[in-house]
Amino acid sequence: MANFNIDAKKDMTYDAIVVGSGISGGWAAKELCEKGMKTLVLERGRLVEHVKDYPTMMDDPWDSELRGSLTPELKEKHKVGMRSGFIGMDTEHFHANDQENPYTEVKPFMWVRAHQMGGRSILWGKQCYRFSDLDFEANAKDGYGVDWPIRYNDLAPWYTHVEKYAGISGEAMGLPHLPDSHFLPAMELNCVEKHVKSRVEKEFEGRHMIIGRVAHLTEPLNGRGVCQYRNRCSRGCPYGAYFSSNAVTLPAANATGNLTIRPYSIVQSVIYDEQKGKATGVRIIDAETSEVVEYYAKIIFCNASTLSTTQILLNSTSDRFPIGLGNDSGELGHNLMDHTYRVGAMGIVDGFEDEYYKGRRPNGIYIPRYVNLDEKTKTDKFLRGFGYQGSGGRAGWGAGSNLDNFGGDFKDGLMKPGPWEFFITGFAECLPYHENHVYLDKNNLDKWGQPTLAIDCEFKENEKAMNRQIRIDARDMLERAGLKDIVDFDNEHEPGYGIHEMGTARMGRDPKTSVLNATNQVHSCKNVFVTDGACMTSSSCVNPSLTYMALTARAANHAVSELKKNNI
Amino acid sequence: MNRRNALRKTALMAGSAMAAPSLFTLLQSCKQQNRLEWEPLFFNEDQARFVSAFVDTILPRTDTPGALDVKTDIFLDLIVAKTYDAKAQQNMASEIDKFNAETKASFGKVFAELSEEDKKAVLKKAEADTAKYNPKVWGTAVGEQKPVGFYRSMKSMALWGYFSSEEIGKNHLNYDPIPGEYRGCIPLSEVGNTWSL
Repeated sequence: MANFNIDAKKDMTYDAIVVGSGISGGWAAKELCEKGMKTLVLERGRLVEHVKDYPTMMDDPWDSELRGSLTPELKEKHKVGMRSGFIGMDTEHFHANDQENPYTEVKPFMWVRAHQMGGRSILWGKQCYRFSDLDFEANAKDGYGVDWPIRYNDLAPWYTHVEKYAGISGEAMGLPHLPDSHFLPAMELNCVEKHVKSRVEKEFEGRHMIIGRVAHLTEPLNGRGVCQYRNRCSRGCPYGAYFSSNAVTLPAANATGNLTIRPYSIVQSVIYDEQKGKATGVRIIDAETSEVVEYYAKIIFCNASTLSTTQILLNSTSDRFPIGLGNDSGELGHNLMDHTYRVGAMGIVDGFEDEYYKGRRPNGIYIPRYVNLDEKTKTDKFLRGFGYQGSGGRAGWGAGSNLDNFGGDFKDGLMKPGPWEFFITGFAECLPYHENHVYLDKNNLDKWGQPTLAIDCEFKENEKAMNRQIRIDARDMLERAGLKDIVDFDNEHEPGYGIHEMGTARMGRDPKTSVLNATNQVHSCKNVFVTDGACMTSSSCVNPSLTYMALTARAANHAVSELKKNNI
Repeated sequence: MNRRNALRKTALMAGSAMAAPSLFTLLQSCKQQNRLEWEPLFFNEDQARFVSAFVDTILPRTDTPGALDVKTDIFLDLIVAKTYDAKAQQNMASEIDKFNAETKASFGKVFAELSEEDKKAVLKKAEADTAKYNPKVWGTAVGEQKPVGFYRSMKSMALWGYFSSEEIGKNHLNYDPIPGEYRGCIPLSEVGNTWSL
């Protein structure tokens, strides 16, 4: 979908402004534009048009001179993102420049950013799971954080709404704590995954191993093609088979004729009008020219990504809001969460030597949470729970590095698939702790003279206790499933590695203890909406992006309805 | 060289099909005394010879091409030149020099000049002496990775250079850039070799 309207010069005033064009910003743009709102999307990076701007999408390893390796200069440019292990020459151009965008790690925190149209929706893992009331009621039940102002039933229709358009493949299980989505056909498990699944489900009552629920098309949808099983998603998909803003929501917004997108637009702050008692627009810095420009609108959606949204709000000060827009509670910047990551086990599955698979499935297995669901599954070791992702597959030539030999037979042997390997790795819920927070560091300015962010966040005893259990259970499951050579592991990653940062402008019932209300409006400035990860009141243990999508569509619907009633 | 020149002439004059392989072998064996046939970007000549001999011993030609056939040595030089920072480059160079110094101390020759058998013996010993890679999940080693040492990291690089080459990836492994479908259980006999991508 070409021909985005990028001419934001002729008009400084819009019905709506959306800050950011990633997963939630794209949805805000689509919903608002389709409801007839003239919408300006402000993107701090460059334009990335679907297909046209995916330069590496068809490359084989040998097509890149260095076969994916980065030069020392690029490693330095991506010095934070490099820690994730996910950056290669094939995706380097979709990761932010860490040198130009410094932040301070008061405690270690890996902050992965993607500064271009589409943001991290180009790079995301695409796993999609609905939160359940187990999640929405968690804070109220154990007293950590504040109560969510919504319950599953408030969001369920909006999950369905976004799923029907995004396209989520998966298998319906009827599990109350992992509600089914509106599913496209599920992807297939391979022989060994089916084998391990049957063993685990037999050995452990109440445990399930299911195919991952993912935003990949297994049937055509709205002109998008189905997954071709190349597993080259993060380079951009020429078929539009996975959900990204670039392939799905922004073209839909554009098709209405109501969208303007302005690239290279770093939102510096939200403009608050003391007399009107509401926000009137945003102030941007042009990333290329450093020119400061103001744009105006009736409603403002903040979707810059969890920490960037909070950074903007903290930087939006006025007489009414001296410590950040909507920060009457003092909670803005607080209660940062992520999921724990890379703790689990792996092993070898004997047999199945004559079996193989075809296709590179961009998906694996999922083991839904099975602890602390009810009295029967309750543990006193920790609060809340965890789930696992994983997959099985045959070792390739890379396994040769560890084999004890070399030479002609060794080489020719590596042309054949190796043993079947299987791994699972847990994702644990992180409690919302007030002291896990971010703040503006006015002593460290970026190249545009703006205060940078300092991040002070750590996992605490509850998360560590869950990680211990994840590791023990992972080994236990693989052992009782009959695997051998089992290795269990905990990489003890600091927060940020899950790339599921959530919180810092939480929703809540009480303006004294939260930043946003039940429809994602800033309590004290109701025409400002926050619907990215910043709004999250608790973190569940499931991947959060689907919930951002649903919350965004719901909030956009509410915004337009309120606007029509002249309530905002 | 006189004797070689003489033989060369003989072979050329003989002009028979039988003569060709021996001529080829002969020219190959001359190489070590000659200048390198490629100009390394980073390695000095001794280091380049080491890398060529190393990858050739790990992945020699059989019915399928060897590492030298797909220019693995040249690729590794490129990788060290363009993706290593100065410190890592220096480290690589000194590790090679050290390896050569050790074979020189034991055998009186640098690695590239050893007989095939001695090369294998040296690598076999290195194989037994070095730590292994931890398994990986999503591209990152699990747990704390002990340093694997020079031999195993070189071996790993040799495998990468070889198996990610176009010749091997397209013509020897199973190349299927756009599978179009996922089938979770198929007989291995349907495809034979491992997928290249």
